[in-house]
Amino acid sequence: MITERVSLTEDQRDCYQEIVNVAMGQAADRLARLLDAYVVLPIPQVNLIEANDLHMAIQGAEDNHAISSVCQGFIGSGIAGEALLLFNDTSFEDLATLMNYSGPLNRYGELELLMDVSSVLIGACIQGIGDQLGIHFNQGHPVVLGQHCQVADIVKSGNHQWNKTLAIEIHYTLEHVNIDCNLLLLFTEDSVAKLNNKIDYLLD
Amino acid sequence: MARALPPEWEVEVFFANDGLEGLEVIRQGNGEVVFLDLTMPNLDGYGVLETIRKEDLPAMVIVVSGDIQPDAQTRVKNMGAMAFIKKPIDAEKARAILTEYGIMAGGADDH
Repeated sequence: MITERVSLTEDQRDCYQEIVNVAMGQAADRLARLLDAYVVLPIPQVNLIEANDLHMAIQGAEDNHAISSVCQGFIGSGIAGEALLLFNDTSFEDLATLMNYSGPLNRYGELELLMDVSSVLIGACIQGIGDQLGIHFNQGHPVVLGQHCQVADIVKSGNHQWNKTLAIEIHYTLEHVNIDCNLLLLFTEDSVAKLNNKIDYLLD
Repeated sequence: MARALPPEWEVEVFFANDGLEGLEVIRQGNGEVVFLDLTMPNLDGYGVLETIRKEDLPAMVIVVSGDIQPDAQTRVKNMGAMAFIKKPIDAEKARAILTEYGIMAGGADDH
Protein backbone atom coordinates (compact mmCIF):
# COMPACT_ATOMS: atom_id res chain seq x y z
CA MET A 1 0.00 0.00 0.00
CA ILE A 2 1.26 3.47 -0.87
CA THR A 3 1.56 5.53 2.27
CA GLU A 4 2.76 9.00 1.41
CA ARG A 5 2.39 11.33 4.38
CA VAL A 6 -1.02 12.90 4.41
CA SER A 7 -1.75 16.21 6.04
CA LEU A 8 -4.41 18.89 6.20
CA THR A 9 -3.86 22.66 6.21
CA GLU A 10 -6.27 25.07 7.88
CA ASP A 11 -7.42 26.38 4.48
CA GLN A 12 -8.10 22.85 3.33
CA ARG A 13 -10.02 22.10 6.50
CA ASP A 14 -12.16 25.24 6.01
CA CYS A 15 -12.85 24.21 2.45
CA TYR A 16 -13.87 20.68 3.49
CA GLN A 17 -16.17 22.22 6.10
CA GLU A 18 -17.82 24.43 3.50
CA ILE A 19 -18.34 21.52 1.12
CA VAL A 20 -19.75 19.34 3.86
CA ASN A 21 -21.88 22.22 5.06
CA VAL A 22 -23.57 22.39 1.67
CA ALA A 23 -23.90 18.61 1.33
CA MET A 24 -25.33 18.12 4.81
CA GLY A 25 -27.78 20.95 4.15
CA GLN A 26 -29.04 19.11 1.09
CA ALA A 27 -29.35 15.91 3.11
CA ALA A 28 -31.13 17.75 5.93
CA ASP A 29 -33.54 19.26 3.45
CA ARG A 30 -34.45 15.79 2.19
CA LEU A 31 -34.94 14.52 5.73
CA ALA A 32 -36.94 17.58 6.74
CA ARG A 33 -39.32 17.01 3.83
CA LEU A 34 -39.60 13.30 4.60
CA LEU A 35 -40.41 13.89 8.27
CA ASP A 36 -42.05 17.29 7.98
CA ALA A 37 -39.76 18.56 10.74
CA TYR A 38 -36.91 21.00 11.12
CA VAL A 39 -33.40 19.59 11.16
CA VAL A 40 -30.88 21.47 13.29
CA LEU A 41 -27.61 21.76 11.40
CA PRO A 42 -24.34 21.67 13.31
CA ILE A 43 -20.86 22.75 12.29
CA PRO A 44 -19.33 19.66 10.68
CA GLN A 45 -16.15 18.38 12.29
CA VAL A 46 -13.33 17.64 9.86
CA ASN A 47 -10.25 15.90 11.20
CA LEU A 48 -7.36 13.84 10.01
CA ILE A 49 -7.01 11.20 12.67
CA GLU A 50 -5.38 7.90 13.41
CA ALA A 51 -7.87 5.20 12.53
CA ASN A 52 -7.30 3.70 15.96
CA ASP A 53 -8.42 6.95 17.62
CA LEU A 54 -11.69 6.98 15.76
CA HIS A 55 -13.82 6.16 18.78
CA MET A 56 -12.37 9.17 20.60
CA ALA A 57 -13.26 11.47 17.74
CA ILE A 58 -16.91 10.59 17.85
CA GLN A 59 -18.94 13.11 19.76
CA GLY A 60 -20.73 11.54 22.66
CA ALA A 61 -19.16 8.17 22.01
CA GLU A 62 -18.32 7.95 25.67
CA ASP A 63 -22.00 8.22 26.60
CA ASN A 64 -23.23 4.75 27.19
CA HIS A 65 -26.47 5.03 25.32
CA ALA A 66 -27.42 2.26 22.95
CA ILE A 67 -27.18 2.89 19.24
CA SER A 68 -27.99 1.17 15.99
CA SER A 69 -25.65 1.56 13.08
CA VAL A 70 -25.54 1.24 9.32
CA CYS A 71 -22.54 1.66 7.05
CA GLN A 72 -22.29 2.11 3.32
CA GLY A 73 -19.17 2.25 1.19
CA PHE A 74 -18.69 4.64 -1.68
CA ILE A 75 -16.08 4.92 -4.41
CA GLY A 76 -15.36 7.13 -7.41
CA SER A 77 -12.40 8.76 -9.20
CA GLY A 78 -9.98 6.77 -7.10
CA ILE A 79 -11.47 8.09 -3.89
CA ALA A 80 -13.02 5.63 -1.50
CA GLY A 81 -14.65 5.84 1.84
CA GLU A 82 -17.24 4.58 4.20
CA ALA A 83 -20.29 6.36 5.56
CA LEU A 84 -21.31 5.33 9.03
CA LEU A 85 -24.61 6.31 10.59
CA LEU A 86 -24.82 5.99 14.36
CA PHE A 87 -28.44 6.31 15.36
CA ASN A 88 -29.44 6.86 18.97
CA ASP A 89 -31.86 4.08 19.95
CA THR A 90 -34.01 6.43 22.00
CA SER A 91 -34.87 8.20 18.74
CA PHE A 92 -36.96 5.40 17.26
CA GLU A 93 -40.20 6.24 19.02
CA ASP A 94 -40.38 9.80 17.68
CA LEU A 95 -39.07 8.70 14.31
CA ALA A 96 -41.86 6.13 14.02
CA THR A 97 -44.42 8.83 14.81
CA LEU A 98 -43.04 11.24 12.21
CA MET A 99 -42.84 8.51 9.57
CA ASN A 100 -46.41 7.43 10.35
CA TYR A 101 -45.09 3.96 11.01
CA SER A 102 -47.84 1.93 12.60
CA GLY A 103 -46.22 -1.50 12.84
CA PRO A 104 -44.71 -2.92 16.02
CA LEU A 105 -41.52 -1.14 17.08
CA ASN A 106 -39.43 -4.27 17.49
CA ARG A 107 -36.00 -4.97 15.99
CA TYR A 108 -37.47 -5.36 12.53
CA GLY A 109 -39.56 -2.24 12.69
CA GLU A 110 -36.57 -0.28 13.91
CA LEU A 111 -34.45 -1.70 11.14
CA GLU A 112 -36.92 -0.53 8.52
CA LEU A 113 -36.91 3.00 9.94
CA LEU A 114 -33.14 3.00 10.26
CA MET A 115 -32.69 1.99 6.63
CA ASP A 116 -35.07 4.71 5.47
CA VAL A 117 -33.24 7.44 7.37
CA SER A 118 -29.79 6.21 6.45
CA SER A 119 -30.54 6.02 2.75
CA VAL A 120 -31.68 9.65 2.80
CA LEU A 121 -28.87 11.02 4.95
CA ILE A 122 -26.01 8.99 3.52
CA GLY A 123 -27.17 9.10 -0.09
CA ALA A 124 -27.80 12.84 -0.22
CA CYS A 125 -24.63 13.72 1.65
CA ILE A 126 -22.32 11.58 -0.52
CA GLN A 127 -23.97 12.87 -3.66
CA GLY A 128 -23.72 16.46 -2.41
CA ILE A 129 -20.01 16.16 -1.78
CA GLY A 130 -19.43 14.39 -5.10
CA ASP A 131 -21.36 17.03 -7.05
CA GLN A 132 -19.22 19.83 -5.66
CA LEU A 133 -15.96 18.02 -6.36
CA GLY A 134 -16.97 16.67 -9.74
CA ILE A 135 -16.84 13.06 -8.61
CA HIS A 136 -19.50 10.49 -9.29
CA PHE A 137 -19.55 8.22 -6.26
CA ASN A 138 -20.90 4.72 -6.65
CA GLN A 139 -22.47 3.51 -3.46
CA GLY A 140 -22.31 -0.01 -2.14
CA HIS A 141 -25.13 -1.77 -0.37
CA PRO A 142 -25.89 -0.59 3.14
CA VAL A 143 -24.79 -2.99 5.85
CA VAL A 144 -26.24 -3.09 9.33
CA LEU A 145 -23.36 -3.04 11.78
CA GLY A 146 -25.45 -3.60 14.85
CA GLN A 147 -28.60 -2.84 16.75
CA HIS A 148 -28.82 -1.87 20.40
CA CYS A 149 -25.07 -1.78 20.88
CA GLN A 150 -22.44 0.71 22.05
CA VAL A 151 -20.44 3.08 19.85
CA ALA A 152 -17.31 1.35 21.08
CA ASP A 153 -18.56 -1.98 19.75
CA ILE A 154 -18.96 -0.48 16.31
CA VAL A 155 -15.74 1.47 15.88
CA LYS A 156 -13.28 -0.32 18.11
CA SER A 157 -13.03 -3.41 16.00
CA GLY A 158 -9.25 -3.01 15.60
CA ASN A 159 -7.88 -4.63 12.47
CA HIS A 160 -7.83 -1.38 10.48
CA GLN A 161 -6.40 -1.44 7.01
CA TRP A 162 -5.37 2.21 7.13
CA ASN A 163 -3.49 4.29 9.68
CA LYS A 164 -4.81 7.75 8.99
CA THR A 165 -8.33 8.58 7.99
CA LEU A 166 -10.05 11.80 7.07
CA ALA A 167 -13.03 11.78 9.38
CA ILE A 168 -16.01 14.06 8.86
CA GLU A 169 -18.62 14.04 11.57
CA ILE A 170 -22.08 15.54 11.32
CA HIS A 171 -24.30 15.49 14.36
CA TYR A 172 -27.90 15.79 13.21
CA THR A 173 -30.68 16.60 15.64
CA LEU A 174 -34.31 17.46 15.08
CA GLU A 175 -36.09 20.35 16.66
CA HIS A 176 -38.80 19.65 19.27
CA VAL A 177 -38.49 15.89 18.98
CA ASN A 178 -36.03 13.39 20.36
CA ILE A 179 -34.17 12.28 17.27
CA ASP A 180 -30.43 12.41 17.02
CA CYS A 181 -27.78 10.64 15.05
CA ASN A 182 -24.17 10.98 14.00
CA LEU A 183 -23.12 10.64 10.41
CA LEU A 184 -19.46 9.81 9.97
CA LEU A 185 -17.73 9.93 6.62
CA LEU A 186 -14.38 8.19 6.63
CA PHE A 187 -12.00 8.43 3.70
CA THR A 188 -9.17 5.99 3.21
CA GLU A 189 -5.64 7.23 3.68
CA ASP A 190 -4.90 6.79 -0.02
CA SER A 191 -7.90 8.94 -0.93
CA VAL A 192 -6.87 11.94 1.14
CA ALA A 193 -4.12 13.16 -1.20
CA LYS A 194 -6.48 13.00 -4.18
CA LEU A 195 -9.22 14.76 -2.25
CA ASN A 196 -6.77 17.45 -1.15
CA ASN A 197 -5.82 18.02 -4.80
CA LYS A 198 -9.45 18.64 -5.67
CA ILE A 199 -9.82 20.93 -2.67
CA ASP A 200 -6.70 22.89 -3.64
CA TYR A 201 -8.15 23.39 -7.08
CA LEU A 202 -11.26 24.96 -5.51
CA LEU A 203 -9.11 27.12 -3.25
CA ASP A 204 -7.16 28.59 -6.17
CA MET B 1 -18.43 34.47 -0.63
CA ALA B 2 -16.18 37.43 -1.38
CA ARG B 3 -15.34 35.93 -4.77
CA ALA B 4 -19.02 35.75 -5.65
CA LEU B 5 -19.45 39.51 -5.28
CA PRO B 6 -19.57 41.56 -8.46
CA PRO B 7 -15.98 42.78 -9.06
CA GLU B 8 -17.15 46.25 -10.09
CA TRP B 9 -18.99 46.75 -6.80
CA GLU B 10 -16.87 49.31 -4.97
CA VAL B 11 -17.17 48.44 -1.32
CA GLU B 12 -14.88 47.72 1.54
CA VAL B 13 -15.27 44.14 2.68
CA PHE B 14 -14.91 43.11 6.32
CA PHE B 15 -14.71 39.47 7.35
CA ALA B 16 -15.89 37.96 10.60
CA ASN B 17 -15.10 34.46 11.82
CA ASP B 18 -18.27 33.99 13.82
CA GLY B 19 -21.48 35.65 14.87
CA LEU B 20 -19.99 37.61 17.76
CA GLU B 21 -17.26 39.07 15.57
CA GLY B 22 -19.85 39.86 12.95
CA LEU B 23 -21.96 41.80 15.45
CA GLU B 24 -18.90 43.83 16.48
CA VAL B 25 -18.29 44.80 12.87
CA ILE B 26 -21.93 45.81 12.50
CA ARG B 27 -21.91 47.79 15.78
CA GLN B 28 -18.87 49.68 14.51
CA GLY B 29 -20.92 50.71 11.53
CA ASN B 30 -18.98 48.56 9.07
CA GLY B 31 -21.79 46.21 8.16
CA GLU B 32 -24.23 48.14 6.10
CA VAL B 33 -24.82 45.08 3.94
CA VAL B 34 -24.23 41.78 5.72
CA PHE B 35 -23.81 38.39 4.10
CA LEU B 36 -24.70 36.14 6.99
CA ASP B 37 -24.00 32.43 7.33
CA LEU B 38 -26.34 30.47 9.60
CA THR B 39 -23.96 27.77 10.74
CA MET B 40 -21.27 29.47 12.81
CA PRO B 41 -19.46 28.89 16.10
CA ASN B 42 -20.11 30.97 19.24
CA LEU B 43 -23.19 32.70 17.87
CA ASP B 44 -25.07 31.36 14.87
CA GLY B 45 -26.87 33.33 12.19
CA TYR B 46 -30.21 33.18 13.99
CA GLY B 47 -28.55 34.71 17.06
CA VAL B 48 -27.07 37.48 14.94
CA LEU B 49 -30.43 38.28 13.36
CA GLU B 50 -32.07 38.33 16.79
CA THR B 51 -29.44 40.74 18.16
CA ILE B 52 -29.63 43.00 15.12
CA ARG B 53 -33.36 43.29 15.66
CA LYS B 54 -33.13 43.69 19.44
CA GLU B 55 -30.46 46.39 19.25
CA ASP B 56 -31.96 47.88 16.11
CA LEU B 57 -28.59 47.76 14.36
CA PRO B 58 -28.26 49.33 10.92
CA ALA B 59 -27.68 46.32 8.67
CA MET B 60 -29.29 44.91 5.56
CA VAL B 61 -28.91 41.18 5.98
CA ILE B 62 -28.67 38.68 3.17
CA VAL B 63 -28.47 35.16 4.55
CA VAL B 64 -26.06 32.86 2.71
CA SER B 65 -26.52 29.31 3.84
CA GLY B 66 -26.28 25.65 2.98
CA ASP B 67 -29.36 25.13 5.14
CA ILE B 68 -31.86 24.95 2.29
CA GLN B 69 -34.80 23.67 4.33
CA PRO B 70 -37.87 25.72 3.45
CA ASP B 71 -38.28 26.37 7.17
CA ALA B 72 -34.87 28.01 7.43
CA GLN B 73 -35.72 30.48 4.70
CA THR B 74 -39.07 31.37 6.24
CA ARG B 75 -37.52 31.81 9.66
CA VAL B 76 -34.72 34.14 8.63
CA LYS B 77 -37.11 36.27 6.61
CA ASN B 78 -39.42 36.51 9.61
CA MET B 79 -36.42 37.56 11.66
CA GLY B 80 -35.68 40.44 9.37
CA ALA B 81 -33.37 39.02 6.70
CA MET B 82 -33.88 40.70 3.36
CA ALA B 83 -32.96 37.81 1.10
CA PHE B 84 -31.67 34.25 1.12
CA ILE B 85 -28.89 32.91 -1.10
CA LYS B 86 -28.31 29.17 -1.23
CA LYS B 87 -24.82 27.75 -1.01
CA PRO B 88 -22.90 26.96 -3.14
CA ILE B 89 -23.16 30.59 -4.17
CA ASP B 90 -24.00 31.43 -7.73
CA ALA B 91 -22.31 34.76 -8.54
CA GLU B 92 -25.11 35.68 -10.96
CA LYS B 93 -27.74 35.18 -8.24
CA ALA B 94 -25.76 37.34 -5.85
CA ARG B 95 -25.58 40.08 -8.47
CA ALA B 96 -29.30 39.78 -9.23
CA ILE B 97 -30.21 40.19 -5.56
CA LEU B 98 -27.89 43.16 -5.06
CA THR B 99 -29.39 44.84 -8.09
CA GLU B 100 -32.97 43.93 -7.22
CA TYR B 101 -32.71 45.58 -3.81
CA GLY B 102 -30.84 48.54 -5.20
CA ILE B 103 -27.83 48.13 -2.94
CA MET B 104 -25.20 47.79 -5.62
CA ALA B 105 -24.79 51.57 -5.61
CA GLY B 106 -22.58 51.48 -2.55
CA GLY B 107 -22.20 50.65 1.10
CA ALA B 108 -19.92 48.63 3.34
CA ASP B 109 -20.17 44.92 3.64
CA ASP B 110 -19.27 42.16 5.98
CA HIS B 111 -18.67 38.41 5.99
